[in-house]
Amino acid sequence: MSTNSAGITLAGRLPRHKLKNRRNARLLLLMLGPSALLIGVFVVAPVIYAFYLSLTNTTLLGFEARNPKFIGLDNFKYLLGNGDFLSSLGKTGIFIALSAIIGQTALGMISALLLKNKWMRAKGIFGAAIVMPMVVPEVVASLAWASMLYSGPEGTVNMITHLFGMGAVAWLQQYALISIIVINIWRGIAFAMIMFQAALEDVPDELIEAARIDGASALQIFRVVTLPLIRGPVFLYLLLTAITTAGIFGLVYFLTQGGPGGDTQLVALFIFDRAFQFSQIGLGSAASVIMLVIVLILGLTYVRVAKVEV
Amino acid sequence: MIRNRILSAVALTAGGVLMATGLSSCAAEAPADGPATITVLAHQQVRADAIKAEIPAFEAAMAKQGQKITVKLETDILTDAQFSTKITQQYNAGTAPDVVDMNSAGMSGYAGAGYLLPLDDYLAKWPGWESFFPITKAAAKAADGKTYALPHEMGVQSLFYRKDVLTKLGIDTSQPKTWDELIGRLQKISAATGGPAITLPAGTAWGGGSWAEGFGNIVAGTDGKFFDESTGKWDVKNEGVAASFDLFAKLTQDKLLPVQDLQNPNPWIATKYKGFVDGSIPVAGQGSWGWKYDWGPSGSAPIEDLTSKVSTWNFPALDASGSPYVTTAPGFSWAVTAKTKYADASVKFIQWMSSDEALANQLVAVGAVSPRSGLDSVAPYSNEPQLLEAEAQLTKAVTVPYADGVDQISMAVQKATEDILNGASGSEATSTFVKQATDLLGPTKVN
Repeated sequence: MSTNSAGITLAGRLPRHKLKNRRNARLLLLMLGPSALLIGVFVVAPVIYAFYLSLTNTTLLGFEARNPKFIGLDNFKYLLGNGDFLSSLGKTGIFIALSAIIGQTALGMISALLLKNKWMRAKGIFGAAIVMPMVVPEVVASLAWASMLYSGPEGTVNMITHLFGMGAVAWLQQYALISIIVINIWRGIAFAMIMFQAALEDVPDELIEAARIDGASALQIFRVVTLPLIRGPVFLYLLLTAITTAGIFGLVYFLTQGGPGGDTQLVALFIFDRAFQFSQIGLGSAASVIMLVIVLILGLTYVRVAKVEV
Repeated sequence: MIRNRILSAVALTAGGVLMATGLSSCAAEAPADGPATITVLAHQQVRADAIKAEIPAFEAAMAKQGQKITVKLETDILTDAQFSTKITQQYNAGTAPDVVDMNSAGMSGYAGAGYLLPLDDYLAKWPGWESFFPITKAAAKAADGKTYALPHEMGVQSLFYRKDVLTKLGIDTSQPKTWDELIGRLQKISAATGGPAITLPAGTAWGGGSWAEGFGNIVAGTDGKFFDESTGKWDVKNEGVAASFDLFAKLTQDKLLPVQDLQNPNPWIATKYKGFVDGSIPVAGQGSWGWKYDWGPSGSAPIEDLTSKVSTWNFPALDASGSPYVTTAPGFSWAVTAKTKYADASVKFIQWMSSDEALANQLVAVGAVSPRSGLDSVAPYSNEPQLLEAEAQLTKAVTVPYADGVDQISMAVQKATEDILNGASGSEATSTFVKQATDLLGPTKVN
């Protein structure tokens, strides 16, 4: 194809830069199109459909199932006045705060700092022990803990506590919420550790050395030098872990099914119960929409507070 | 130009495929006497085994009649609650198998939603339907008066007790007339063993069993007005309901129920399969299937020399004015999916499975009572005295209501009895139940 001195193509009668833009746009469409299509079909469309369902009394069982009706915001009004739902929101908040935000973050950071230390021995074994819970499938992890926390004297934890003269404890009944918090911390340390390890790599050793020469203690170095430098990745981790922990279902379902007495009924289990056990798809969808809004607010707050680009 | 042609060709092909898919999905029903492949779903191993054993004979019988019907058995081993969740999604998505062997407790919900094929026309032309007990026929009817499922077993529920254990402890084994009398005995057992004395399904972990095998049996023995058939409403504030919750609360407060075990996932394992089997919980609310499915030689937790160690009491009355009773409800039923392409072949299959020998074999495999007359002389059912005795009780048994809305009532019962296991009083549990049932059913379906 030939062009004249003004950059106009003789064949298409288009300026060269416009032709290039058009080609770029096509390439962009080709590259992003499949992903956008998949996200549209499997993420955006279900969310829109869930929002629509949340405004109806759709159920899967009984004669009402044949004729679902539009009921406006009734499902939302019902949920926001329902003790079980509000209680599940509260438990989810406690679960996120204690297991993800405090437990996983603190222990993940400690593990990452230990692995960064030169004097640390057997780093491979230590790292593998931390990462193992993350690679074990959820069902396997749940069954392993169910066995360890078994209420009879044959339970592993009870066998250990028995050595100290304690009687058998029904961990998953008497301390159900604490148990699932501990198990979730155990499973999540690895991800925190990997994120923080990567962030710590970017902290210049000279700064640490300089602070040390100035007489700063290890805690002071961490608080004043290291932490401000890795603030971005830490906030990003907090955002990710809060969102993923809010949606945890399998671990709790396999261990306690939300019991005893609803003690571990997190929002995800409440939604499952309403939508699939009670077949109230409309109500379950409304609960999902409320959860989605909460997670969005949480995410936006993190981003604003941390002033980080996500 | 070439690219445009290629695009057009791709678009045409895609359109063709879509059209073909659409047309195939709305294909007309297959001819009644043409070859058919029907899929049958079972979710309990023992039932699946019993069905599998009958399929070759059915296929051969159909071939002899000149029709090729192939039966494909799908076995998906799940608990009742898991199965209910899964099959509901399959029905809703239009991907359910042609025939489903299901617990009758869920039938009204599926029928109401339009997932099941009405069988009335088929049953009206089938002589075999005549022999079904009136109590079976009544229980199989949905709220709209149609029959959507063919029960292939009845369950008779009562209290099973370990007579060897009670005799050893010096506890009276005669029929207790009232719950007060039975509680007196249970307290003696508990004092001797230091543990709970009776297991009755309760709470959320047991799922639908907390209603169908627990609370439902107690409330069925009250004034019988829990469900009003004339109005189609549930009387959730009925005195019998409150009295039944009071009983559960009393059993819990007196530490006669295995509270912790009932709150574990799969609570039947620690209670029925461990506690009752080793004799540490020597009384259990149980259906006639306990003789085979649970504690029989091939059952989930066999008890050696079962019939000499275990016997049954009727449920005692809640007060001195009542009489002990047993309850009955259809156990499992055959349901044909409304969207099946092979309705006639599917119905032929379930009718054949209800014929003498096929039915007798299935009943003995699971330990269920016959849903119809004429089986007391058909082996191997005729060789099972416990099942024959239970069948004889059918006529005087009290029925547990299974009307439209029973799923929601079951859920409210699970929640209320869970509260009791966590220390709530009977009146608190009744309040929880009334609120939950009203929420779930809507105010128009409750009194």
